Amino acid sequence: MNLIPSFEFQRVIVAPWTQDIGSYGWIALMGFLVATACGLVGNYLILRRMALVGDAISHSVLPGLAIAFLVANTRSSLVMFLGALGAGVVTTLLIELIHKKSRVKQDAAIGITFSSLFAIGVILISVYASKVDLDQDCVLYGEIGTIPLMGPTPIVRMACVTALTIALIIVFYKELLVSSFDSGLAYSLGINAGVVHYSLMCLLSVVVVSAFESVGAILVIAMLILPGATASLLSQRLPLMLGLTVLHAALSSVLGIHLAVWLDCSIAGAMVVMGAVLFGLAWIFSPQQGLLWRALRSRGNHCQTVPAVLSSE
Amino acid sequence: MAEKIVSVQSSLSSAPPLEIHDLTVAYHKKPVLWGIDLAVPPGKLVGIVGPNGAGKSTLIKAAMGLLPFNSGWVKIFGQPVRQALNRVGYMPQRESVDWDFPVSVMDVVLMGRYGHIGLIKRPTKNDREIARECLDKVKLLPFANRQISNLSGGQQQRVFLARALAQQSDLYFMDEPFAGVDAATESAIVSLLQELKNKGKTLMVVHHDLPTAREYFDMLLLLNMRVVAFGPTEQVFTPDLLQKTYGGKLTILSEVAEQVRQKGTQ
Amino acid sequence: MRFANYDSRFTRCLLLLAVILGAGTINVSAARIGDISETDIVGQAVRFFTFQDPAVRYALIGSMLLGISCGLLGSFIVVRKMALVGDALSHAVLPGVALGFLWNMTKDPVAILVGATLAGLIGAATVTLIKQTTRLKEDAALGLVLASFFAMGICLVTMIQRLPTGNKSGIDKFLFGQAAALGPDDVRLMAIVTAGAIAAITIFYKEFLVTSFDAAFARVAGFPAQVIHYALMLLLAFAVVIALQAVGVVLVSAMLITPAAAAYLLTDRMSRMLWLSAIFGMVAGATGAFFSFLGPKLPTGPFMVLGATSVFVLAFLFGPRHGVIVRWLRQRSRARRVQRENTLKSVYHVLEARDFKGEGVSLRELAERRRETIEDVKEQASNLRSNGLVSLHDEGDVIFLTPAGWQLACAIVRNHRLWELYLTNAAQIAADHVHEDAEKIEHVLGEETVRQLEKRLAGMTTDPHGKPIPTLADIRQGTGFSERPTEPTGYGKR
Repeated sequence: MNLIPSFEFQRVIVAPWTQDIGSYGWIALMGFLVATACGLVGNYLILRRMALVGDAISHSVLPGLAIAFLVANTRSSLVMFLGALGAGVVTTLLIELIHKKSRVKQDAAIGITFSSLFAIGVILISVYASKVDLDQDCVLYGEIGTIPLMGPTPIVRMACVTALTIALIIVFYKELLVSSFDSGLAYSLGINAGVVHYSLMCLLSVVVVSAFESVGAILVIAMLILPGATASLLSQRLPLMLGLTVLHAALSSVLGIHLAVWLDCSIAGAMVVMGAVLFGLAWIFSPQQGLLWRALRSRGNHCQTVPAVLSSE
Repeated sequence: MAEKIVSVQSSLSSAPPLEIHDLTVAYHKKPVLWGIDLAVPPGKLVGIVGPNGAGKSTLIKAAMGLLPFNSGWVKIFGQPVRQALNRVGYMPQRESVDWDFPVSVMDVVLMGRYGHIGLIKRPTKNDREIARECLDKVKLLPFANRQISNLSGGQQQRVFLARALAQQSDLYFMDEPFAGVDAATESAIVSLLQELKNKGKTLMVVHHDLPTAREYFDMLLLLNMRVVAFGPTEQVFTPDLLQKTYGGKLTILSEVAEQVRQKGTQ
Repeated sequence: MRFANYDSRFTRCLLLLAVILGAGTINVSAARIGDISETDIVGQAVRFFTFQDPAVRYALIGSMLLGISCGLLGSFIVVRKMALVGDALSHAVLPGVALGFLWNMTKDPVAILVGATLAGLIGAATVTLIKQTTRLKEDAALGLVLASFFAMGICLVTMIQRLPTGNKSGIDKFLFGQAAALGPDDVRLMAIVTAGAIAAITIFYKEFLVTSFDAAFARVAGFPAQVIHYALMLLLAFAVVIALQAVGVVLVSAMLITPAAAAYLLTDRMSRMLWLSAIFGMVAGATGAFFSFLGPKLPTGPFMVLGATSVFVLAFLFGPRHGVIVRWLRQRSRARRVQRENTLKSVYHVLEARDFKGEGVSLRELAERRRETIEDVKEQASNLRSNGLVSLHDEGDVIFLTPAGWQLACAIVRNHRLWELYLTNAAQIAADHVHEDAEKIEHVLGEETVRQLEKRLAGMTTDPHGKPIPTLADIRQGTGFSERPTEPTGYGKR
């Protein structure tokens, strides 16, 4: 069956970097920038156990964007960012409202909020399809394949966002670290954990919106979590984890392109799949936590090595 | 109350209600319980005391089979725990459930009968009658139809107690039944527990308050990762043994356990 | 345990029978939803709901069935706080759906069900494995599996769409849902799954209840909590899968959580919650199917979600027990009552200060006692009058208590002073500490408590500050006096 095209080395591995580099080069770069920005922020989401919030924000930017399009009729970045930030704020407020004012718990409050907002967004883009420059496919998996056609603007924009993210993380490294780990300690050190939290949420919204065009609303979560999760399997020190995140971003973009060329499928989906493959490899082969090492270790350790001397105490 | 006379007789048989041998529980290479040996005689009200993190809750959960353990075994009335569960009653800590759950006080106490009812079958009139009696014993019968979040802390504790009573067991495990209750409720609970003991039941109660421990219990288990002492209260409640249990310094055992963990051996 | 009622079981069986019979006897017809010439919405609604279009029947019945099963299973998700699990499960089934398509290169409901369920179970197992073997916590593990599996699904979907037969397969409908695509096979499967879910929950109600409420206790009672948990997950996977075609992968989790959350806010009993969320799910399903029927390209999923959310918002705001607006109104009326009682109390105090000589209290005296302005006091006075507690004389400058007003004033003062007495005697609190407490308690003491207090403090007639305590007898004596008596009445008679 011709579902899976044949794997021709020339076509799949070599061509993207030689004759097609005009298009694939840019796509790889964009993918790398998106994954880096998302992955770096995502590290802190994982540490703070806020992966669900990341999921929520990535869904709820859709109505913000749709409304921004309808109102401003342009694809200008500023309008989009404002729409997304507005949506992010509304989301956070609604979630707080629901779970503080009723006995609905936080997890259900988050689920109800983002799915309703997302539903509104989908309806808007379906009903006003002609006026809004988004369609359902774009929402699901982005249009990273059309990046080469759109000139340098989107890439420059994303590069700025990524650079900003890196800069903020370097500048506020200590504050982010302490408030993620121990908010009590942060308070005693004069760090306002609330400010850090909301700033992180704003940064997250900005990053998510920038990534939206490339990978859509749902795969963004993968970009947020996979790099950091993989890095956490390979290292326990935060600076190293952040570096590994960037490496994961680069590898998954490049390998994703190869996969997409081979199978002729969605590029963003392929990048995420390769990211998941990298995670799987780390999961199995990681030097300390990997499944392989665990299996080996438990086989060598059948007897209790706790000294018998203790039982005489 | 529809009493099971059989249970009194079987508690006179030879197998002790609770027998633990060399029980060790470790989380991520850090030991919580170490080499616990215990044989509890029937018809006793046993208090389990020790400092925070001594493993008191872990002990009763492991004994009931709720937690896995690394070595040792547990027998209840001479049988493996799984088979003897129908003779075990459990009163967990209040924090273990979500009190916003849409059930009434009566629903919760009826849950105590589920073990006797078995799979699929419904509670009978008799079960409801028993539940009502247990609620009456803890003086919560007027609250039977109230949803459980509309109760005070002490009342919630009493609901759990009523549920445990409804189980009509021979061996009870109770995790801090007096936490957060006022003095009147506390003495009411104590007299209920003593009533149970006088009927031949065995009770293992995790307790947090030393002075009252001496008053309430016939036997005490002093626990700090391992059994420091176990026996009749007057013999065990001595300054020397208490110091060993609650003393701030690490005992040799804890030090070596720490070394073992750091070296990364299992 | 209402489920044990013969009536409710009977009604449910009847409903189920009706649904199955209805689905079974419907002819296959190819009328496409949306090719209708009527443009007015009421006409559309009538046409829709009276089943005039055969294809519409499938869409509507299927949507209602999935609403029921999502509502039922969703109830357990909400009380177990597993909303993210529902979300992850519903995204993770996509590759299974795609593989189900590839099985026969057509939309085969059974193949899709099997594929999706397998994908869901593998996803769930992966999450558990990740949690057990790495340092990643549950939320990260779920997000990871959700997105990775979804990405695999997206790759497969785009690959299928590339195939010559791909575009006709209808797989793109699975992303946002299209109830119009439901055919008789689909509806039959949905009916079977929904019936199975209803049966399982009815038969094993107490097992699901106890393991959801207190899993540790359930195990001690001898129930296999893990097995029951997995059974629930399996039912959940089935509910997700049958909902996929109409609601879409992306939004199924909303159909699981939202109707159940609305029900959660309206009742304090699990059995009633299950009923309500099934009904709400059904309503949401029907609404979604209807709105997407109005236009040819409108996906069903978002409309169903909005239908469910509307119900939730109504429950959130107006729910009789926990509704936000209802609670606010109750608080406001309570605050007003307290204000009224305090004013009455002040009137009493003014009267008492002059040994109950003369019944009229001027506004100025009242304002002085309450340390407020005359305007405020005037407003309170007219409020009291509209409640029949006072009457105003001398151009509204002088207040006279009505019999009802007198009773209430005495009652409040009595409550206050009794409580102070109780606190100082029984609780041994210093006399100067008790006033604040009594200010609050006086408004909420009930008759029975007061009687108990009086019995307990029998024989004491003055409060810690030496003021006399009105008894019930005194209060009753106070009725029957005329508006401007010549001698003091009520307590003053003593």
